[in-house]
Amino acid sequence: MSTATTAGRRPAKPRRSLAVPVGIGIFVVITLLSVSDQWGIGLDIGGIIEDLGNGRVILEQLLDPNWDFIPRTIQFSAQPPFVTGPLVETFQMAIVAAFIGCLVALPVAFFASRTTAPSRPTVVISRGILSVVRAIPDILYAIIFVAAVGIGPLPGIMALIFFNIGVVAKLLSETVDAVDEGPIEAADAGGGNRTQMVRWAVLPQVLPNYVAYSLYAFELNVRASTVLGLVGAGGIGFLLNVQRGFGAWSNISVIIIELFVIVFVIELISIRLRRRLV
Amino acid sequence: MIRFEKASVTYPGGVHALKDLDLEIPDGQMLVTVGLSGAGKSTLIRAINGLVPLTSGDVIVDGVSVRGASTKQLRELRSHIGMIFQTFNLVKRTSVLNNVLMGRLHTTSTWRSLLGWYRPEDVEIAMQALERVDIVEKAYVRASNLSGGQQQRVGIARALAQEPTILLADEPVASLDPPTSHVVMRDLQRINRELGITTIVNLHFLDLAKVYGERIVGLRAGELVYDGTGAAADEGVFRDIYGRSLTADDMMGKPAAEAAAGV
Repeated sequence: MSTATTAGRRPAKPRRSLAVPVGIGIFVVITLLSVSDQWGIGLDIGGIIEDLGNGRVILEQLLDPNWDFIPRTIQFSAQPPFVTGPLVETFQMAIVAAFIGCLVALPVAFFASRTTAPSRPTVVISRGILSVVRAIPDILYAIIFVAAVGIGPLPGIMALIFFNIGVVAKLLSETVDAVDEGPIEAADAGGGNRTQMVRWAVLPQVLPNYVAYSLYAFELNVRASTVLGLVGAGGIGFLLNVQRGFGAWSNISVIIIELFVIVFVIELISIRLRRRLV
Repeated sequence: MIRFEKASVTYPGGVHALKDLDLEIPDGQMLVTVGLSGAGKSTLIRAINGLVPLTSGDVIVDGVSVRGASTKQLRELRSHIGMIFQTFNLVKRTSVLNNVLMGRLHTTSTWRSLLGWYRPEDVEIAMQALERVDIVEKAYVRASNLSGGQQQRVGIARALAQEPTILLADEPVASLDPPTSHVVMRDLQRINRELGITTIVNLHFLDLAKVYGERIVGLRAGELVYDGTGAAADEGVFRDIYGRSLTADDMMGKPAAEAAAGV
């Protein structure tokens, strides 16, 4: 431990980059400007506290769910189809859209990843298309498809399919980018073609993620149904909006709880499946 | 037969990994290439199956020019060249058998491989390959559950499942402990002798090279600096190849001597 001999070999402490503090500074300034009356939205803290009373009424009703409302959202019968109602429709729309959307997203993701795409332009074009698909919000898809095919669950499903392709293909392509490339080299060295390489060297590596993303998309679809109904694209959103118009917050509370249960169950399944696959 | 004809590889950035290399490897030979890291061993091996493209010259494998090969011809060429890697390159999340079946992709139609419907005869070939490296009992085990030595034997089985005429092994034992290294090297030697598969192995431990190399080729900065039998390669030769005197780090150690006595 002779400091005299090793001191000369120690590197000088690198100068700290200013990028992080400057970045944080800019972010704070923009946030403050956005809040201010003159430049931004004029956030009035006093107003929030003053009006808090109105919210209290709603909150009280939300905390007191009207369980008698459940039959309006879901009906059971002894004959097929056994269960019906807007909540069931929401669930069915979500599962159909998740299935089709995620199935389409799988090959799209491989075209959008540098690791697996046949060429550079393929990656750029696929990513460009995916950006556009994702830039359009689900409610806008729903409005377009309602105009095109009329009201009902069909335009809702179509809207959700596009939404799912955008989300799942993006997440999956980024996962594919980070995959272990060793098996890819092995597949190439063995004379396999690109499709075979993707199927056997890449897919097994990303399968748990793909399942998780698909279940996440399914979950988002269940939640999206609340807004899809507003524009006539089917599901529980229509009922929710009617109850909101009545100010029937105890009924809305039931809908929220029902959606929470569905989302929670999906989450449980997701955790189980991932544990089995990883 | 593999023939290098003034083969050169220059990587972007100006590194000359291979310089005007002339080399002929007859069928059935067990060739070991030695050299420091960066001497061009990996590049030499990957030039044979076209994983690294040549910048000039050519490599002729069984009469086929690697440099002039189309994508289709290259796939055809690669289908009978098995390859073994330092880090095994297995898909760890899937079964040993699925990994070995990757060696059958070249004769399996795309739709069959997409569905995973390998023909029974291909599964049989994969099983026999696993038997040859004595690990068939692990066929349905996930690759990630195997030890390093076992994983490398699966890597060898995958290469054998191609029913290759040439076997390329890029530092196959660099990630393994000394006893396991000898098991793997003996597997390669046995495969070379019993099946007559031309085998080219990169090694950086000199004692291993001497024991297993029927012929040793020394590379230094992309150039051929030694070409002779393993027996003739003495310390002076290795000093030449390495461009410095040898140290204990260049030897795997004692088990090599024991293995030499046992072989």
